[in-house]
Amino acid sequence: MRQVPEVRAAAVPAKHEKYPWPEKPVLLSTDVKRLDGPVKASGRAKYAYDIKRPGMLFAKVLRSPHPHARVVSLDVAAAEKAPGVKAVLPWRKTGEKVVYQGDEVAAVAAATEEQALDAIRMIKVEYEPLPHLANVEQSLRPEAPSVFEGGNVKVGAAEESGDLAAGFKAAAHVVENTYNTQVVTHACLETHGCVCEWNGDQLTAWVSTQAVHGTREGFAKALNIPITNVRVITEYMGGGFGSKFGPDVQGIICAQLAQKAGAPVHLLLDRKEEHLATGNRPSAYAKIKAGVGADGMLTAFDAETWGTGGAGAGSGYPLPYIYQFPNRRRVHKDVYINAGQQRAMRAPGHPQGCFITEVLMDELADRVRMDPIEFRLKNLPEQAPNAMWKAYFPIAAEMIDWKRRHPTGDPAPGPIKRGLGVAANRWGGAGRGTKAHAEINPDGTVIIRCGTQDIGVGTKTIVAMITAETLGIPMDLVTPQIGDSNYPFSGGSGGSTTAASVSPAIRVTTGKARDALFARIAPQLGATPDALTVADGKVSARGGKTVSWKDACKMLGTEPIAVDGEWEAGLSASGTSGVQAAEVEVDVETGVTRVKRIVCVQDMGLVVDMKTATTQIYGGIISCVNYALFEDRILDRNTAQMVNPDMEWYRIAGMSDIPRIDVRIMNQPERGVVGIGEPPAVSTAAAITNAVRNATGVTIRSLPLTPDKVLAALERAGGTN
Amino acid sequence: LKAFAYVNAANEREALAGLDAQRGRVMPIAGGMDLLGLMKNYIAQPERLVNVKNLDATIQASATAGVRIGAATKLIELIEHQGIAKNYPALVTAAEEVGTPQIRNAGTVGGNIMQRPRCWYFRNEEFHCLKKGGARCFAVEGENQYHAIFGGGPCHIVHPSSLAVPLIAYGAKFRVVGPSGERDIDAGEFFQLPADNLMGETVLKPNELLTHVILPASTSMKGATYEVRFKQSHDWPLAMASVVMTMDGNRVKSARVVMGAVAPIPWRTEAAEKVLAGKTITEAVAVEAATAAVAGAEPMTQNSYKVQVARTAVKRAIMRAAGLQTV
Repeated sequence: MRQVPEVRAAAVPAKHEKYPWPEKPVLLSTDVKRLDGPVKASGRAKYAYDIKRPGMLFAKVLRSPHPHARVVSLDVAAAEKAPGVKAVLPWRKTGEKVVYQGDEVAAVAAATEEQALDAIRMIKVEYEPLPHLANVEQSLRPEAPSVFEGGNVKVGAAEESGDLAAGFKAAAHVVENTYNTQVVTHACLETHGCVCEWNGDQLTAWVSTQAVHGTREGFAKALNIPITNVRVITEYMGGGFGSKFGPDVQGIICAQLAQKAGAPVHLLLDRKEEHLATGNRPSAYAKIKAGVGADGMLTAFDAETWGTGGAGAGSGYPLPYIYQFPNRRRVHKDVYINAGQQRAMRAPGHPQGCFITEVLMDELADRVRMDPIEFRLKNLPEQAPNAMWKAYFPIAAEMIDWKRRHPTGDPAPGPIKRGLGVAANRWGGAGRGTKAHAEINPDGTVIIRCGTQDIGVGTKTIVAMITAETLGIPMDLVTPQIGDSNYPFSGGSGGSTTAASVSPAIRVTTGKARDALFARIAPQLGATPDALTVADGKVSARGGKTVSWKDACKMLGTEPIAVDGEWEAGLSASGTSGVQAAEVEVDVETGVTRVKRIVCVQDMGLVVDMKTATTQIYGGIISCVNYALFEDRILDRNTAQMVNPDMEWYRIAGMSDIPRIDVRIMNQPERGVVGIGEPPAVSTAAAITNAVRNATGVTIRSLPLTPDKVLAALERAGGTN
Repeated sequence: LKAFAYVNAANEREALAGLDAQRGRVMPIAGGMDLLGLMKNYIAQPERLVNVKNLDATIQASATAGVRIGAATKLIELIEHQGIAKNYPALVTAAEEVGTPQIRNAGTVGGNIMQRPRCWYFRNEEFHCLKKGGARCFAVEGENQYHAIFGGGPCHIVHPSSLAVPLIAYGAKFRVVGPSGERDIDAGEFFQLPADNLMGETVLKPNELLTHVILPASTSMKGATYEVRFKQSHDWPLAMASVVMTMDGNRVKSARVVMGAVAPIPWRTEAAEKVLAGKTITEAVAVEAATAAVAGAEPMTQNSYKVQVARTAVKRAIMRAAGLQTV
């Protein structure tokens, strides 16, 4: 599984020489509606799930019910004879091990989905159950059975800087606590999967993926066929959040079943499979000792941290987050358990590091009796274009009317306690590598092709905006084409890299197309190419003629302009800063927290589309409200089987659970484009937890903030009523 | 989903003819809100379904003689019925909080009462639990944060019906028909503890049908339901309570207090009822009754917080029934 890491680059690049972003843009940084909003809202958009091919079969995967077992025998004879079955694919060989519930064992393709479901139940598998580990506590026991090769725990190297002993000596107060966050799954609205169709040795796959090119390579490698024999199409996708970078096991199974059956095969997972086997955000634990001086300056930070990314996968995260501890030490260990493996998930590691650090920050602020924002301002890094928190905290405070905040513990009578909290976030979000192709037709229409995909960015919309901006034409003349590996290369949509990779490529490519147009038509306008400009749907020669865009394009005769271009430096940057504040109500007689309001101050360099940027931020915040309150992958502590692999007990906010959200976007046009998918999803949970602390006077150091934890903390603090 | 035969019953007689004495072989289906999920998860694998949507779905209300509700009545029709809203507020509040708009539009009164438990060990095929003929209740040493705090086991589900709670509080009867004729059963006698019936949750036999809910006249009754839930949209209650008080002026003549989501059956608490009898309701009286209501609770390893949640639900239901302000 290839993952796109946080990509970092210059905070403010040297301006692009040939095609810098316009100083007075017409479309950029305005509100433009998502071009494909209507087809999505009306159900006309065809997702991988919706693809229907002639003679298409439906496939289902048989998965291990055991968290750890050896396959003793696998008998597919009955399934092969079952009604409607066209192909059966044993996936595990006899003697191989499965290491989590949901691990793939075999698969079936049949004429209907129901027949495939019935048929996988006819596959007879004999398992030899092996000792399993259901949670980190079990793995960390000295007497734990050795389940994973090389050990159940992998201890990392210590990260150290400064003089820890001196730091604690300088501390007026020391806080020591343990914090933790839960495992959550990506819970994509569209589950993972694809439709595979072979034409001879050519494979076409309609995949729900956030990387059409990466998935093409993935198929080629796993099937041992040339990359040129694979085409991956993703016109629309229903969410990935970091979990959809390749064909995955089910993609390879789908392709092999299609080959075996000689027919197209549809293999989209169900919700249970989605929770069990398609990735998750690792848990995080941190035992921390931190010191603060009487003046409110942080002095020392000593942390032992651990977490689980499931069966043999890591659980790293940044800590401490953003704030400056001059003397620090941290040792992390990855703890393995028999559960599905982690995958990158919306700002990998940051929500964990943010939660732990920001809750600690409020506890330290109380020790020195300082306002949490004032305390943070003292301990933030120096301000820079990619480190703007000192400017943003006061704006967030103004937006949420911070001055009404009472000290920790709402003194108001009655069971409903109100509180405010804050937290900051950061992310890289640089781009690179994208290529594009542009054609200007003699009728004035423009096609722009790019092998990227839309994971939620509004990619088609920003491609069309930048094209229209560069050519000085209305957007409806532009046809953006994305989501096909036959289009020019673009990387996976991860690490918030899409906008910062694609936007410069489109700017350069359409700039080159414009120059090529000028070169072709300049003689007919009686001017030199460098005397031509475009704006307002017109081409003008300096001191000479002005013609409409359409008339200018007619001068091309029958031969369109066709140019290729790619990402170049000078149009994108790295590093975002954001601050969020939360307002909550906690019912101290039931332990139920309701989030009333979130405010968000966020930058992302040059804003391409103000509207899709804002809706990206809404989505991030809502996902982090879920992280704060609701989402939790719960494994039975005895069997290591997931008890809530559904949308019933795996809770996700509905409309009535989503607070009012106010977003203030800080445009930084001089920096160029920076991605925004990740950062808003980082700090909401920390801000909510701090608001709950402010409301109730008790600190919950564990996510999610379920009623049992709130009531238990209140009980420890002296009862509720 | 196992293939099944389908009988479209036009009336009670045809429906009864379609049923079968063997548990699980034939099942009635109305809205299918619960049954289809059970079938898709291979928890229920009936050979035949009998559609009972065409049976009585009317609400017959009279000011003096009470109300007769056909089991096929949809929850939305119950919620929108003006007479019910006026005279049985505890029932309507409970119905309004069921599921989602889609579930309330398609789900029926009978289906809500007869739905199977939401226990995650029961609903997931991997766990061969007591209720599925297995040897143990996985909740006891497992993840029991949403399980019972009353009832004594050996199975620790909470009963999922929100309507059953106020129906018992109002003293409703259920009309049941079967091969040997019809009978009315007190709602309070209808539900069975696991110790008495492990494979089902009610006295209804597999070849019988629940056809009507009969509510007594609500003259001089004051009632309210309070549900504590974690999510505001589509969620199950952590605990709920329905309180119906027969009033003598400002004083409570008699009361019924029933808790939901705390036991394998709707859990009536006579200790709380005794506290209320003869009293004028104040917050202090409500707290006293609520404390009495949860006095015998036996929480499991992860769910002691539910005692406090249930207590709050009872307190607030009493106060609301009395017209006092609560959050």
